[in-house]
Amino acid sequence: MKKFPGVLAAVAALLAGGQAMAAGELHIYNWGNYTSPELKEKFEKAYDVKVTIDGYDSNETMLAKVKAGATGYDIVVPGDYMIQIMVGEGLLAETNPSAMENYKHVDDRWKDVYWDPGRKYSVPWQWGTTSFAVNTAVYDGDINTLAILFDPPDALKGRINMLNDINDVINAGLRYLGYPRCNKNKDQLKELSQLLLNAKQHWRTMAYETIEKLTSGDVDVSQNWNGASMRARKQVPTLKYAYPREGFTGWMDNVAVLKDAPNLENAKLFMNFIMVPENAALISNFARYANGVVGSEKFMDPEMIESPEIVMPANAPAPEFVPPCDKEVVDLYNKIWTNLKK
Amino acid sequence: MADTAHRTPRALDLKYQPGFTSVAMLCFFVLYAPIAVLVFFSFNANRSVTRWTEFSLDWYVRALANEGIQNAAVTSLEVAVFATVFATSIATAAALATTRVARYRGMTAAYTVINMPLMVPEIVTAVATLSFFALLRTTLGINFGLGNVMIAHTVFCIPFAYLPIRARLENMDLTLEQAAADLYATPWRTFRRVTLPLLVPGVIAGAMLAFIISLDDVIITMMVAGPGQTTLPIYILGQIRRGVTPEVNAVSTILLAVSILFVTLFFLLGRRRT
Repeated sequence: MKKFPGVLAAVAALLAGGQAMAAGELHIYNWGNYTSPELKEKFEKAYDVKVTIDGYDSNETMLAKVKAGATGYDIVVPGDYMIQIMVGEGLLAETNPSAMENYKHVDDRWKDVYWDPGRKYSVPWQWGTTSFAVNTAVYDGDINTLAILFDPPDALKGRINMLNDINDVINAGLRYLGYPRCNKNKDQLKELSQLLLNAKQHWRTMAYETIEKLTSGDVDVSQNWNGASMRARKQVPTLKYAYPREGFTGWMDNVAVLKDAPNLENAKLFMNFIMVPENAALISNFARYANGVVGSEKFMDPEMIESPEIVMPANAPAPEFVPPCDKEVVDLYNKIWTNLKK
Repeated sequence: MADTAHRTPRALDLKYQPGFTSVAMLCFFVLYAPIAVLVFFSFNANRSVTRWTEFSLDWYVRALANEGIQNAAVTSLEVAVFATVFATSIATAAALATTRVARYRGMTAAYTVINMPLMVPEIVTAVATLSFFALLRTTLGINFGLGNVMIAHTVFCIPFAYLPIRARLENMDLTLEQAAADLYATPWRTFRRVTLPLLVPGVIAGAMLAFIISLDDVIITMMVAGPGQTTLPIYILGQIRRGVTPEVNAVSTILLAVSILFVTLFFLLGRRRT
């Protein structure tokens, strides 16, 4: 810093003064309203570190800022596919969480994931599933099938909301037809397009406001995330989250450290800190999704452990984590999607 | 009545065309009904923004006690006050330099440059500002912290402050300033004792516009803000993704009340002088 106006110097001094109380700093850039204030406080006390939390509204906003460089943030919490992209672009620090003391608490199923094999860059934050919820007061038949969305019973025709998300809709369609993901097969895609166009007459809306739509009675079925379904059920107890036998999508947000993090050591401490079961439970109790750390159930709100949206029934298929598809597939999907939304 | 003669005949007056009232009412309804719904549900007792149960002020209490909201509000105010003071000062100087001087080459160009931020799409400015500050940080190591956001806000607030000040200057009677000069007042004294006092309503109007524009900005702030620099609109946006609760409605209602207060003051101050 060379010369800059006195006022700015005063402002800068004020800001610096305000933060100089603790021994260190840690700047977290996470999804909005996603970081437990209790967790923050506990970490601050344990390590005498002043933590700031800022929120973003999409993986893409976060990526845009991080790519510009020198954001000043230490920690980001990208979704599964975004970790893969950021590792590819060389934006994340190789912190080797698998060598950290508390890594032993991480559930084995989250250790060798496609977006970070062997966990060299990231640790689990929270994970969930994307399926759909049905109001059983309107339809009380079998809901564990994707036929509810694509070939609905009469009671649900015209009462369905789909997520306005190309991948969530197309992947559900491919599962219903029994075809593989990231599909390039023209005949199969033609069939898929027909299926979606035909099902569209039964769909009332395509939107992200799932809780509002289900609880206001605007629709009786909505494609939905499990945590959102749990919150909707608290208002309308007859809502039930489906585990379709054809399969459904899983997703995970992960804590990663930026390559140009100003407080690298504190960021590593934070990674290690959130793998402690008691601390992982704080994350879940606040944001209401499962966390991927074994033993955290003991410290979680009982209503979460009993919640059918969070704890999957034993006979449900395993959630499928879909990697990003290559450009050719994306172009084919875009055509189907544009045609569907006409 | 003396001015009846100047009125447009009824048959041609827009106000008396068939359907004028219903079209106007429909427009007002579409504009304001969603805001009314938002305010209504901020007083809802349960955590839904679509199903009414009973009246409650709980969400206001929660919003005001929320540390994230408090910090964001303080940041918003710091930025808005800084941007208002600087943008208004610069805009006043710019307005004087484009009205109270002999025409010079490049005056139109200057006028265009000052108002450019109004024409450029905000997302373009946002991305440009993002790379500009990133470049400063990575190549020169210069980082003003919250100053980055303050500078960015000052820049896009200047044209908003400039327009009312310039309009006021153009409508002001020049004879008073000429009379002061005739009575041997120095240019500075003329400015200080005649021009500036007459200009005050324009300056206040410009300052209030700048304040509101700064307080409401999302896109540029989102791109420029660094650690611990979340402003209120960005905080609200971050909440929406994870399901709206009436807490967001309550914060929005407070923000709306502040905006209405300023717009009303702006209106009253403008009316007093004309």
